[in-house]
Amino acid sequence: MNQHQTVGIVMIEDDEGHARLIEKNIRRAGILNDIKHFTDGTSALDFLFNAVDGPAKSGPAMILLDLNLPDMSGTDILARIKAENSPLRRTPVVVLTTTDDKIEIERCYDLGCNVYITKPVNYESFAQAIRQLGLFLSVIQVPDAE
Amino acid sequence: MVSVRLKLPSSEGRVARWLVAFMTLGFIALAAAAIAIGWITMRSSAYTAEILHTQDVRQAIATLQVEMEQSETARRGYILVGTPLFATAYARTAGNIVPSIRAIRHLTSDNPAQTSRIDRIESRFVRLRALRTQSMTLVATGRIAEARRRFAVDASVPLMRGIRYRLQAMAADEVRLLAIRTGHQQRSSALFLSVAGLAAALLLVVAILAILVIRRYTTDLAGSRDSLRDLNETLEDQVATRTADLSRANEEIQRFAYIVSHDLRSPLVNVMGFTAELATAAGPLAELIDRAEAEAPHILTQDAKLAAREDLPEAIGFIRTSTQKMDRLINAILKLSREGRRTIAPEHIDPAQLVDTIIGSMQHIVDDRGAVVRVERPMPAIVTDRLALEQILSNLIENATKYLKPGRPGEIVVRGHKERSRVILSVIDNGRGIDVRDHQRVFDLFRRSGPQDQPGEGIGLAHVRALAYRLGGTIDVQSTLGDGATFRLNLPSAMTIQDSTP
Repeated sequence: MNQHQTVGIVMIEDDEGHARLIEKNIRRAGILNDIKHFTDGTSALDFLFNAVDGPAKSGPAMILLDLNLPDMSGTDILARIKAENSPLRRTPVVVLTTTDDKIEIERCYDLGCNVYITKPVNYESFAQAIRQLGLFLSVIQVPDAE
Repeated sequence: MVSVRLKLPSSEGRVARWLVAFMTLGFIALAAAAIAIGWITMRSSAYTAEILHTQDVRQAIATLQVEMEQSETARRGYILVGTPLFATAYARTAGNIVPSIRAIRHLTSDNPAQTSRIDRIESRFVRLRALRTQSMTLVATGRIAEARRRFAVDASVPLMRGIRYRLQAMAADEVRLLAIRTGHQQRSSALFLSVAGLAAALLLVVAILAILVIRRYTTDLAGSRDSLRDLNETLEDQVATRTADLSRANEEIQRFAYIVSHDLRSPLVNVMGFTAELATAAGPLAELIDRAEAEAPHILTQDAKLAAREDLPEAIGFIRTSTQKMDRLINAILKLSREGRRTIAPEHIDPAQLVDTIIGSMQHIVDDRGAVVRVERPMPAIVTDRLALEQILSNLIENATKYLKPGRPGEIVVRGHKERSRVILSVIDNGRGIDVRDHQRVFDLFRRSGPQDQPGEGIGLAHVRALAYRLGGTIDVQSTLGDGATFRLNLPSAMTIQDSTP
């Protein structure tokens, strides 16, 4: 379990309620990793790429990304993360959004999203999906230092 | 609005009538002028003939005068000298006098005054000729003295004077006639000129008028053609503008529906999520109440027990069912908006085959509900979007099997026929029917008709109508309550894509 502790979770979600529900369910699944929450894309990108304790500079991370953000589209952030020369291109990204539009889902996978979870109003299935992230976290490989 | 007065037909007719009238008038004037000129020419040549005749008469009178004078001169010379040269000269000229008189009489036979004059001249000449013959005979027989004596006393000098006087009167008369006839001819020539001038002027006027009429007609025609072309051009522009407006409005509505439904879901996730959290939290609370009831009943109030055991679960239950329903409604709007954004791809479709496929896919539902679906063949072929048509027909057939009249096995007929460039597909059932006042309402979103004894959100027919519109068609229902319903889908037999929905 030691390895998990090093994986930080970066949550980019503008809805406080959603963020709280996601966090609750992550904790409920027994995942104790550090969760950093951002409500807008600009500060999130700044942290991801530039912060000293951010994923680009130190340590592996998992990113939970909402597609509807006030200042930019989540797909833009996804494209930045998964860009060819991005230091974060191997970082797993879980897209969490209310949209179940097929085209948007396909677009996210095309951009390199690892998992796509729609936020259903049926809370149980949502909670179930979040809990399974614990399983996902356990298989994240810490990238070799380059 | 661009309004163009199309006055072509009446204007054209009027102009043409004017044109024909002017042309006819022109030709009539021309004919009249030709006749007048012909008549005047005839008159003119008649006058010329008369003038020539008068000249002939004058010539003949002059000749007679000369002959009279010459013969008299020859006679007197003969009497005076007795030379035979005078006798031959007399014989030459005197012989011509009678034919000359005859010629004059012939020429002036139309003029009684001249005729009477020539008669008198002749009678005098006959007497004079007798005297002359007597003188000539006396001289020829050598009795010159007797001839001279008789000449001095006979009547030949006054006779000769009378003849001379009458011949002068005749010549004067002919000169007078000549003046009159020349005047006639001059007037005739003047008339000819004025008639010809008038005809020319008339022709000129007609020609100018005709040219003006033709010019106006041509200008009118060109104007009409221009305005028609302008109308044509602006029409295309207008259609293009309206189409662009429409598709923009349509896109706007689609986007609006999409965003609204999408953003509505976001708070709903919270409501549902935290309701679940509440339910989870209520669990331990209920346990606590149970434990408290068992271990320390005195701390419990009736209100606390009711709140934990009934009010809380009931409230949570209502919140849940309501949010679930709201989620379904939002999903319906989302589905409609998504359907509106889908790209339509027209293709050749045999509706009968499509209906077979639909029935095949829902066979178990149809069987469960105890209904029979029959497809009437043949059906007219159609070019339209396969998926949209499939969704429309499967919705209609599904509805037909759903709303049966209790106690009557469902019988559903699908048939199609062609009306000019439209194909009408009908789904006819013998179910419970739809009240007339609900015929429009059933196509509205979230609206249903009759007893609410079947599951559903009132989405299907709204979806069907949206799809029908999308395919350039319409849908209506004919039904009486309790007596089945007929849904008629009216589609273009060959759909063409007009808008550019992304």
